[in-house]
Amino acid sequence: MSATTFGILCGVLALGATIPGDARVARLAKEVRAKGWIVYSARTERGDWDLFLMRPDGSEQRNISTTPAFSELGGRFSPDGKKLLYRRIPKNSRINHDVWGAMGELIVANADGTGATVYGNAGEFPWASWSPDGKQLACLTKTGIEMCDFATKKVLRKLDRKGIYQQLFWSPDGQWLTGTANHYGESWTVVRMNASTGEVNPLAKFQNCTPDWSPDSKRLIYSSRPAHQEEPDGGKLARSVGQSPGYGWTQLWIVDGDGRRNSLVYGEDSRHIYGGALSPDGRYVVFTRSSVDGGLGIGDKGAPMALMRLEDAPTIGGESKALRKLFPHTKDGPVLPLPDGWEPHWTYAAVQEKK
Amino acid sequence: MTRSRSFGLGLALALVTFSCAKRGDSGVDEQVTTLGTIEVTAKLVEIRDPFPPNDLYNYAYVLKYKVLAVDRGKVDGDEILVAHYNPLKPRSSAQDEFSGKVGGRLDRFRAGDVHRMALEAPLDNFWMGGVVDKYFDQKGVRYWAVWTNLKTD
Repeated sequence: MSATTFGILCGVLALGATIPGDARVARLAKEVRAKGWIVYSARTERGDWDLFLMRPDGSEQRNISTTPAFSELGGRFSPDGKKLLYRRIPKNSRINHDVWGAMGELIVANADGTGATVYGNAGEFPWASWSPDGKQLACLTKTGIEMCDFATKKVLRKLDRKGIYQQLFWSPDGQWLTGTANHYGESWTVVRMNASTGEVNPLAKFQNCTPDWSPDSKRLIYSSRPAHQEEPDGGKLARSVGQSPGYGWTQLWIVDGDGRRNSLVYGEDSRHIYGGALSPDGRYVVFTRSSVDGGLGIGDKGAPMALMRLEDAPTIGGESKALRKLFPHTKDGPVLPLPDGWEPHWTYAAVQEKK
Repeated sequence: MTRSRSFGLGLALALVTFSCAKRGDSGVDEQVTTLGTIEVTAKLVEIRDPFPPNDLYNYAYVLKYKVLAVDRGKVDGDEILVAHYNPLKPRSSAQDEFSGKVGGRLDRFRAGDVHRMALEAPLDNFWMGGVVDKYFDQKGVRYWAVWTNLKTD
């Protein structure tokens, strides 16, 4: 048995949503294998974080930012899949799950990691997000949301940030922005902002974050840790990972842009699900499954990633007695285990092999 | 005098001295009179709910004050809403890599206490992170506490 096969088998066993050796997982892997590339951050043996590319089935992994003095994080493909935006921080800086978009320098590179250039100095262009045509960047600063011309770096216009404080992302149709905000007294509210008028509507209040867009800009995927989660084991599981009983587990949800209809995508009692990113056709979702909150995994070493079909939502992983009680009609579709990582992002564009 | 009695007397003297110093604290120091653009002496009206835990996330928590004196700059009205960063911590150790300059000689927040504070406004220009604002239905400026001292005189 190869190391890769063994790793994936271990992942399948841990996921528990699927039967070990489940042919459905193998079919899913085959189905997504040629569907572009996923960029993600992962901890290397040297202890720094680098950017990696892989096929959506976890094959063809390769490090595209081998810089021992720095850590690279939060890679995002440009809408045409030709470029990457990411942050670069000194190797010994600790990544913060909530402020990473404002940490270190903003780097622009080709999608295969070549041609990396410093676009902005430390702290500049925080939470930079591509416009649909790749000609502008939206940045989240303390004094507002700035839309900058990508070529000249000039601020073209500015909006009040209306309480948004992290994870700003511009919708694929250019009409909306999303982010995590303080909204009517609730922090950790995922909101949608009209990119022209600055008007904001809340999508999910109380303990939500890491929103990202569906390709049609009509829905958003986000992480949520609902209140009052039942703990059938009296908090034993929580305590085993140093978590306070009653804290709860973070789940992946999807919501319409007007906030009226939201539904569970994936949940697993014992895991915090973060970094949800949809495939460019909106059929699949990749995410991370961290046993500790914050998304970076135990010891900040990254968390196992996983991939599923959106049509299989809701799917519940592991035993998850409490969650299964709440969602008795879970589909429990196949969930493809992927390597440890953080903040994955997906393109269907062809990414050239690094020479 | 035995060694333990002399130690006890010394301790008592130290406590009396300390408590007198606290009682007579004007709250004025170099930082509170120079940091920020506004300086007020104000009474903390209430703490509506327990502060949220700070084991994983650090918040700014909005508190209501009755203004007793405006020592520098200008505020809107005689009741103001002030956001304090990570209020579970003494002000002297509240500052971290995300907060910007924050500090002071206040150890803990108690309703009814009077604080001498150096402030900035509006809050959004100085803190980009979670805010717990139990007064969200009240319009008006949210101030950002840069430096907070207890006033006891």
